[in-house]
Amino acid sequence: MSAATFQQSTHPTRASKTAVGTVVWLASELMFFAGLFAMFFTARSVSPELWAERTELLNVPFAAVNTTILVLSSVTAQLGVFAAERGDVRVFRNWTLLTFLMGAYFVAGQVYEYAELVHKGLLISTDPYGSVFYATTGFHALHVTGGLIAFLYVLIRSYQTTRFTHGQVTSAVVVSYYWHFVDVVWIALFAAIYLLK
Amino acid sequence: MKPGGILYMLGALFYFVLGVVYWFWTGEIVGTVGITLTGGLALLTGFYILFTLRRIGPGPDDLDDAEIADADPDFGFFSPGSWWPLPVAIAAALIALGLVFAVWLVIIGLGVLFISIYGLMSEYYRGPRLPEA
Repeated sequence: MSAATFQQSTHPTRASKTAVGTVVWLASELMFFAGLFAMFFTARSVSPELWAERTELLNVPFAAVNTTILVLSSVTAQLGVFAAERGDVRVFRNWTLLTFLMGAYFVAGQVYEYAELVHKGLLISTDPYGSVFYATTGFHALHVTGGLIAFLYVLIRSYQTTRFTHGQVTSAVVVSYYWHFVDVVWIALFAAIYLLK
Repeated sequence: MKPGGILYMLGALFYFVLGVVYWFWTGEIVGTVGITLTGGLALLTGFYILFTLRRIGPGPDDLDDAEIADADPDFGFFSPGSWWPLPVAIAAALIALGLVFAVWLVIIGLGVLFISIYGLMSEYYRGPRLPEA
């Protein structure tokens, strides 16, 4: 692709349909998490004494470190997108790979935390707190895993093709939108679960 | 694009105000969270439209004297037809059935899903000629 066509295709006069579609879908995802948040706050207001007792089990410093890594992975994802928009596929791959590893670290941390909580006797079927905790963080972790798979596909395709096309830049951009969304949702979940004791 | 973005932002404002009113009126949580995040739903789309507008500048649809031909001719790439969504749907069916009946079906379904998404995704990125878009 010549520099001229690249310049033209990255400065269109209308928004990319893929990007607008992704944002509208993310808005509907927000409503999915709205259901989970509503469940969380309802259960919390119905049984405050259970919450006071159960939140003692949480390992807040560990979760805070995990959260920081996830937030920083949003920064690396954005740096990767900037490189992709410049057409610098090598730098894009490096940042995306780093983002992938940080996201994978987050999911591994979640698994470790689950194992610890199960060890302390908190199961999804133990009480309302267990159900709410595992449902909210579990659905979020599934979203992070989905994002990791999306990063993997984008990476594989960047290796598979001889040219880094405009369509691939769009894929990289929309996957980063998704990643930022999942990140923001986690900040809200972290605040609700770990900070609002 | 600008009127569209402003409409979404007005929607966001409406739902945020409504969320506050609802909370003080009823003190009920599910509705408050739902209404407030509906505001978030409108805010996300509105913000994206206005942000993109600032990035790419006003388009022909923001100008009174624009011609049809002024619009960007690049509408994006649309697949003329593909068989890959079928295996994606079969994989989704396998996973759903597996959740009901047997876990091993979920594992097979996930495998089919990853392969069929890969096929769908790389369909136009194979072969000697690559698409321009």
